[in-house]
Amino acid sequence: MIPLRFPPALTPPGFRRLGLADAAILCLLGGLIATVVAFAREFEAPLLQAVQIDLRPTALPRYTLYSLSRGVLALTISYVFALGFGWAAATFRAAERLLLPLLDILQSIPVLGFLPGLVLGLMSLFPTRNVGLELAAILMIFTAQAWNLALSFYNSLKGLPAPLRDACRVAGWRASRTFWQLEVPGAAQGLVWNGMLSMAGGWFFLMVNEAFRLGNRDYRLPGIGSYMSVALDQGDVRAMGLAILAMIAMIVCLDQLLWRPLVVWVEKFRLEESGDGSPLPSSWVLDFLRRARLPRSAALWQRRVFLRARRAARPLERPFRVVGPVVLRAPRRAFEHPIARKIGAGLAAVPIAAVAALGAWRLWLLIGQLGWAEWGDLLASAGLTFSRVMGAVLLSTAWALPAGVVIGRSPRLARALQPVIQVVASFPAPMLFPLVILLFERIGVGLGLGAVALMVLAGQWYILFNVISAVAAIPQQLKDATAAFRLRRLARWRILYLPAAFPALVTGWVTAAGGAWNGSIVAEYIEAGGRLRTTRGLGSLISEATAHANFPLLAGGIALMSLIVVGWNRVVWRSMMEWARTRFGLVQ
Amino acid sequence: MTPSTLLLEAQHVTQRFRLPNGQVLEALRDVSLSVREHEVVALVGPSGCGKSTLLRLFAGLARPGEGSVLYRGQRLDGVLAAAAMVFQSFALLPWLTVAENVAMGLEARGVDGAARRDAVARAINLVGLDGFEQAYPKELSGGMKQRVGFARALAVAPEILLMDEPFGALDPLTAENLRSQVVNLWRDPATGVNTLVIVTHSVEEAVFLAGRIVVFGSNPGHVREELENPLPYPRQERSPEFDEMVDRLHAILTATLLPEPAPAAPQRLVPFPRVHVSEVTGLLDHLLTRPDGKGPVFELAEDLGVDYDRMSAVVRGAEQLGWVTTPGEVVQLTTAGREVMAIDDAARKDVTRARLAKQPLFARLVAMLKEGEGQVEDEEVLADLTIYFPFIPAESLFGTVVEWGRYAELLDHDADAGRLTLLGWEGAAEARVE
Repeated sequence: MIPLRFPPALTPPGFRRLGLADAAILCLLGGLIATVVAFAREFEAPLLQAVQIDLRPTALPRYTLYSLSRGVLALTISYVFALGFGWAAATFRAAERLLLPLLDILQSIPVLGFLPGLVLGLMSLFPTRNVGLELAAILMIFTAQAWNLALSFYNSLKGLPAPLRDACRVAGWRASRTFWQLEVPGAAQGLVWNGMLSMAGGWFFLMVNEAFRLGNRDYRLPGIGSYMSVALDQGDVRAMGLAILAMIAMIVCLDQLLWRPLVVWVEKFRLEESGDGSPLPSSWVLDFLRRARLPRSAALWQRRVFLRARRAARPLERPFRVVGPVVLRAPRRAFEHPIARKIGAGLAAVPIAAVAALGAWRLWLLIGQLGWAEWGDLLASAGLTFSRVMGAVLLSTAWALPAGVVIGRSPRLARALQPVIQVVASFPAPMLFPLVILLFERIGVGLGLGAVALMVLAGQWYILFNVISAVAAIPQQLKDATAAFRLRRLARWRILYLPAAFPALVTGWVTAAGGAWNGSIVAEYIEAGGRLRTTRGLGSLISEATAHANFPLLAGGIALMSLIVVGWNRVVWRSMMEWARTRFGLVQ
Repeated sequence: MTPSTLLLEAQHVTQRFRLPNGQVLEALRDVSLSVREHEVVALVGPSGCGKSTLLRLFAGLARPGEGSVLYRGQRLDGVLAAAAMVFQSFALLPWLTVAENVAMGLEARGVDGAARRDAVARAINLVGLDGFEQAYPKELSGGMKQRVGFARALAVAPEILLMDEPFGALDPLTAENLRSQVVNLWRDPATGVNTLVIVTHSVEEAVFLAGRIVVFGSNPGHVREELENPLPYPRQERSPEFDEMVDRLHAILTATLLPEPAPAAPQRLVPFPRVHVSEVTGLLDHLLTRPDGKGPVFELAEDLGVDYDRMSAVVRGAEQLGWVTTPGEVVQLTTAGREVMAIDDAARKDVTRARLAKQPLFARLVAMLKEGEGQVEDEEVLADLTIYFPFIPAESLFGTVVEWGRYAELLDHDADAGRLTLLGWEGAAEARVE
């Protein structure tokens, strides 16, 4: 019998036909190494609280790369976190009970509130180097990226067909192998699409992360966000324009060089077999790379090294294989014993409860310093910001719902506009805030109302995206039916498009309102053209408390905002979602 | 036949599951079953009788709640290495090629390098998939996919092959072809497989493959009867001996599916089978076309293109309404059944309403509704159903009750408010205005 070639996909490449693609890859690798080295040097730089930002255009590429590196590093950490967190929550019942509500809350609280604490803490760890400040910035980006990734991975794991899991267990796969060959590939689609969203979310607070004031001290890290804020301080319109252009260029490059190829590549990991006949997405970069020879030889080489290493390690492995099960038997038995499990769970619950109690106690001490007048101020401001958030959600719906239906109805339009909308939506809205406010001042609109417009900028895309995808998913037969019965346009909207879009619209509202709450922190307190503008509201209260290092007020503001957002999510949005799904869900 | 070694043994196994709504379902109760070397055992029975659960217990994929599962006298600890499994849904990893899918189980068994390549090639050759090594599952038809499923199981040369409705998702032609190949594989000493356990829905399949057929009953799952099948291999379908065996199995299954009603306790609450109005009328319509308005349940199932499990549920529904009787395995249209088909739709609703009012479950529901001034909350009814029928998912039984109640214009359901209303009740009109 002819032995089968294995693994078949990796035929040894010839070394002759190195093409243009290989040259491009080598250049990219070189660029990557240079960036890493430059960024590492920046990390190690002695701590200067306010770096001088060079406003010359020639400096901009370097700053862009710095910001990009922070975003990518944060995303990497987010992925590692999401895999661990999602796996734990999907695998252990007890972990699930603890982690899911935690995720729910983390997702909806304004992360900017943690900035001062993080900065001060990390700076005291690294008092002489830039590392602390850099880490704080990266962690802040991480907090904007991680939660939806973790949730996506958890949901994918929960949705894996049971027979596939059984098949892996019957094959004798260990947990690690099942993880990398079943669970991660099965979740790959969700991980990539959510990674795209996360990256966009990470840019949102770019300006604040890279340049902020804490008490009487200025903190600044070189990057595109701090470039923009210095340009704003000095009223340098040309530099502002350049920063915006650089940001757009970075987003487009990321989209074309990273996300597009990834999206096309993960099509391979689709679980259900696509039968909807829609054309598969394509990516010129991936096509280009697939033609290249270097990645293949690298993969082959890596495989060879791996196999050799495993073979070399085998004699060392054997004792573990023999001893391992014997040693592990007792703990395994204990782990499976119901009473032992209960004791273990109790032991694990004690430190968790202790940490939670300690945190609550500290928070209580901090908030306890606030007087009645301050609480009254907080509540009144919260009311103002709440009405702004709702106004922003309404305004966003007013344009995004009809636009979403129109775009979603036509596959051609959706396909043509999708990349444009994606880039526009990834652009961090706060970078535009000062410009919009200056414009509003010209036409005589104050920040009290202007902030609503800014919050629209921060939240509208979620509504648009959700509506487009919901309308695009309406079965053709339903559309045909409305056409066959000659329903007029208005009736078609009333009977088909709006009800079909409604569940997605509610989901969009939840995220848009979250974005608007987050946006309020930067929208109600703005420095533009060297002048500070504020309007009363919870967001400006938080920003002010940060600027004046008023920690009790900051803690109170953040706690109040978290409470409102979580409470509103729990009570209003959740019941609305439930109702929308049972009443208007297309899947019955 | 010489008595051979005991391979697998289930001893007094009871297995319960908790549904998302908190209801506890008993999938198996006190089941004892043994599988000997060189045997082919088929597990048949209505859906929800726990036969797939038992297969998963044999594979070591689940642990029994009570009782124990033994392999060669040893209690199973984790997945049984001597067994391989074939799934109804194929369970192939879509991102691995055919060859990679087939190789899935080899590494854990320490088969590496050239030996692994040989094992993969041999398994692929056994199922006739040569040339498809580099294909991805999505490029294959259902029959081809299941061949990959078999190759993956055969590659590890398992002693026992466990199959969970392996031909259930295939078209009849492909299924027939694969079925005879399975017999050949089992008879071929080169494969290493010497014992098969198969869960199936098809009586012919069980008779064609198995040397011993185990019939399960449901609610909760238990072993009803075991039937030896001494026909020599290879078996000829359509031969008289084969047909006789099929008829015997039919008779046993009918006794399981359509038990003679217990004579005592007429007011005992019986669940209404989860069947649709249109299915019952469809059955009556079909019986009208038959001479004397009768036919064996398996023939009816075949004629109407549904499986026997479903067919017997429909028959039980029609029987509870008094429209058919089931002497033995024959379904006989009654006079009432003939009458109800002769009248127009409105009159048929009236007759159905009167019949339903006598059915104990509906009678109890109507009493509940009257007690609640013609209205009762869904939750209350669901709780009631859960208490009376702990082994039936309450939501699905509730759906059936609502469908029949609506059809007979006995009651109405408000999905938004989550409550049932009794129609024709004097208080109902006012209550609805509120």
